[in-house]
Amino acid sequence: MADKQTNLLQGTLDLLILKALIAGELHGLGISRRIEQITGGTFLVKPGSLFPALHRMEEAGWLSAVWGESENHRKAKYYRLTKAGERQLGAETEQWQRIALAIQAALQTS
Amino acid sequence: MSFSRITSLFRNLLHKQRVDSDLDAEMRAYVEQVAAEKMEAGMSPAEARRQALVEFGGVEQVKEEVRGIRAGALIDQFWQDIRYGLRILRNNPGFTLVAVLTLALGIGVNASIFTLFDSVALRPLQLPESNRLLDVYQTMHGKMHRNVMGGINLSSYPEYLDYRDHNEVFASLAAYKPETRATLATTREEINGQLATCNYFDVVEVKPALGRGFVPSDCAAANASAVVVLSHSLWENTFGSDPAIVGKVIRMNRVPMTVIGVMPPNFRGTQIIPAEFWAPITMTPSLDKLSFRDMLNDDDSSWLAMLGRLKDGVSLAQARANLNVIAAQMDGRRPGRKTDVTVNTATLFGRPDMRVVVFSAGSVVLVAVGLVLLIACANIANLMLARAAGRTREIAVRLAMGASRARLVRQLLTESLLIAAAGGGLGLLVSSWTAPALVKVLLARIPAGGPWFSVSSTPDLRVIAYAAAMTILTGMAFGLAPALQATRNDVNAALKDEGAQTTMQSRGRLRGALIGIQVAVCMVLLVCAGLLLRGLAHAQQLDPGFEMNRIGMVNYRLAAQGFTPEQAAAFNRDMRERVSAVQGVEEVADVAAAPLANVHFGATFSEPGHSERRQMTYDIVGANFFSLVGIPITRGRSFTETEVKNNIPVIVVNEAAARAWWPGQDPIGKRLVAYLRQKTECEVVGVAKDVELDAIGAAHTPFIFLPATAAEQAEIMLLVRTRVPFDQVASPIREAARKADAELQIDVLSLRTNLEDWPLGPARILVVLAGTLGLLGLALASIGIYGTAAYSISRRVREIGIRMALGARAADVKTMVLRQSMRPVLIGGVIGVLICAAVTRILAKMLFGISPMDAISFVSVAAFLTAVALLASYLPARRAVRVDPMVALRHE
Repeated sequence: MADKQTNLLQGTLDLLILKALIAGELHGLGISRRIEQITGGTFLVKPGSLFPALHRMEEAGWLSAVWGESENHRKAKYYRLTKAGERQLGAETEQWQRIALAIQAALQTS
Repeated sequence: MSFSRITSLFRNLLHKQRVDSDLDAEMRAYVEQVAAEKMEAGMSPAEARRQALVEFGGVEQVKEEVRGIRAGALIDQFWQDIRYGLRILRNNPGFTLVAVLTLALGIGVNASIFTLFDSVALRPLQLPESNRLLDVYQTMHGKMHRNVMGGINLSSYPEYLDYRDHNEVFASLAAYKPETRATLATTREEINGQLATCNYFDVVEVKPALGRGFVPSDCAAANASAVVVLSHSLWENTFGSDPAIVGKVIRMNRVPMTVIGVMPPNFRGTQIIPAEFWAPITMTPSLDKLSFRDMLNDDDSSWLAMLGRLKDGVSLAQARANLNVIAAQMDGRRPGRKTDVTVNTATLFGRPDMRVVVFSAGSVVLVAVGLVLLIACANIANLMLARAAGRTREIAVRLAMGASRARLVRQLLTESLLIAAAGGGLGLLVSSWTAPALVKVLLARIPAGGPWFSVSSTPDLRVIAYAAAMTILTGMAFGLAPALQATRNDVNAALKDEGAQTTMQSRGRLRGALIGIQVAVCMVLLVCAGLLLRGLAHAQQLDPGFEMNRIGMVNYRLAAQGFTPEQAAAFNRDMRERVSAVQGVEEVADVAAAPLANVHFGATFSEPGHSERRQMTYDIVGANFFSLVGIPITRGRSFTETEVKNNIPVIVVNEAAARAWWPGQDPIGKRLVAYLRQKTECEVVGVAKDVELDAIGAAHTPFIFLPATAAEQAEIMLLVRTRVPFDQVASPIREAARKADAELQIDVLSLRTNLEDWPLGPARILVVLAGTLGLLGLALASIGIYGTAAYSISRRVREIGIRMALGARAADVKTMVLRQSMRPVLIGGVIGVLICAAVTRILAKMLFGISPMDAISFVSVAAFLTAVALLASYLPARRAVRVDPMVALRHE
């Protein structure tokens, strides 16, 4: 039971990170803020879940990372979607919509 | 795994440092950014940084998690575990040494037994491209009258020709008689060889080292070509490596044979019993006169093994299918018969009937030595448990630092696998020394004159794989339970050093279970040894129902050595006279198969006018046979000399046969038709008492005695009764035989050797094996019991001190300690006895009349085991009560 929940959350997190990066490259803190913003403050992503996810997605080839300079002139690691990442976003969006519809349908039947 | 994942794997493994410092910089940047924002909002730099870190949550934990998800994380951790494990083991040299040596011994013994088994039953023949060499055997069911000469899975020559000419899968298919005994005229030595089809050497693809192999014309017609190929060892030992041997004529079974070649030293034929010569199969009628049938044309004789070399690109499954189709066509001509063809990669022990024996014996022995290894594992597991108790705090610290339980279990298992690997590697070394020693011991125990085996004791890949599997299994066996146990600690309690008491209980239970397993296994091994030993002792007083003392066999095989019945009759007359003249000889009788010689003749019989034929065992005996060996004739009489001489068809049957044919009637005067050389109707003149003539325990199987008439003289050997112990007359009899015929191969043995060699020999080997393993197991188990008792007492020194200080008597304390350590022993013992009760039935045939549930064996072994266990736990208990209460209370 616990496992399934994590899987769902992990899947959600991946989707949110991919979505956050569609507008352009961001560093870790930037991604966290952007997710908070686009979900209307519902999701607060802590570094403890963010960084493992970023590194996993980078190794999977969905993101690429470069070192750059942040807005307040500090060194920061910027993440960007790769072609594979864009495809993944498409796939995950579609899957999520299917799940959402299914769950909604399930909840509406009495 | 995607491409990017693979590149990351390489990056992670090769540039570990840079990847790590990158990660560190990334985390730091994050924290600093958050802190900077907070300072802009007006916080002091120190407070901003503190708040940023709190929001982040443990930096180290996050880093560890990122490392954990990376490609190659497992490999990384594995190396880390190995390095750590090695360090731990190096710091405990005593423990490591004991554990590694125990395992080396255990795995070594197991691997050497397996080496033997492998070389006999699993290893393909050591020949060129041996994976394409196939053994072909038949198993027949249903209606048939088969003349079995050497094994039920062998085939006839016409059957071979059918397979050879109609198969589409073999480049060539050869057939050979696996065992042919021949006597060399020069040395009077009996050697074993193979009569083979002329393509035999092409199939095995081995060329003679000297001269040539067979050519097709050698097999053109019966007795066409009297040629022979010698083995290298025969050429070396008997012919002094004569370089001009090719072309010379040697006499075998009185037939002059021209030597055409000598095989290279490593080729000893394709059966477990090595061959010393090869002759064309068409020489069978003159070289091998054992059967009166025309072997080359008889379709119902089982005497040939087949060996085929697959065509390129043909699979084993195709070969099986094709040959079974041919067999089905042959069955079509024999209504009611069904033949299954067994096709396998050729090994030394290919025959299905023999394989069953080898596999069942092999697995029993492998299980027995495996059990001893299990006992050894239990000891090591116990040591690990004791050590884990000492590492409670280390493990608690690591759990508190955020290591997961799975990670810790993996690390502890890595440690035990390291020990197992060292033990396994050393064990292979041990087995490379013990396997040849074992072969030597076994060969020394095979009765004189019996078959000797050709086995190689060098380990091959299968042996190494077996040892590796053993290593991993033992590593898991002794490592898993202690590792799970050790990591189940309550962290808080352990850190406060209170955990010791609470976890002691469950740890004690596991330890008790280990002791119980050890005792149960020992019990099984020792009860088996005890039963076998009692069986052997019983066999010494065994009464087979006839006289065994002061009776000897003058063993020769005239038919095999080229005698016609007329020549044989003359020779036997001469021999009887010469042997009777020897000082101390009382009486001489003709017999075809000596009692209990493990030579059995079978034929079918029927009542006149009835079509139903029954298979029965028979023997051919002289008129005075019954009186010589002291078998009472319970009704009627034995044959008379006149009947024997004049070929009158009379027979004597045993009581079981009389009951089988004519229950409740008087058998005297009844008639039976015997289907032998020809159909003969015989009259029953006497009934002999049921005795264990054919085999021990087979007294009440029907048995028929036929007279040793003139036609049977080539099958006859002599039985001799002496006034003095047989040993005193053996060599004069041998001397007399040499005078009768200088070329004849002859064995002069006491009748008792028949009992000693066959039924008792294997039982002795089994006793030695079960006894050695049982005692070895018991020694290991006692060490385990002693160690556990000593350890648990050392943990309870304070408690014992308090009890003594409060006035407990030494005897009470001793009893308490003893009761505690004996409890698992007794439970294990009872379980062992129950297992024994279930399994000793399989030994029944080796017990010579002792019941498999023999109370004496069970009780005495159980008592012995309990006594040893008591001693092992008494020694530490005695030490416990010597504890000075004052010292004990200050302990720790």
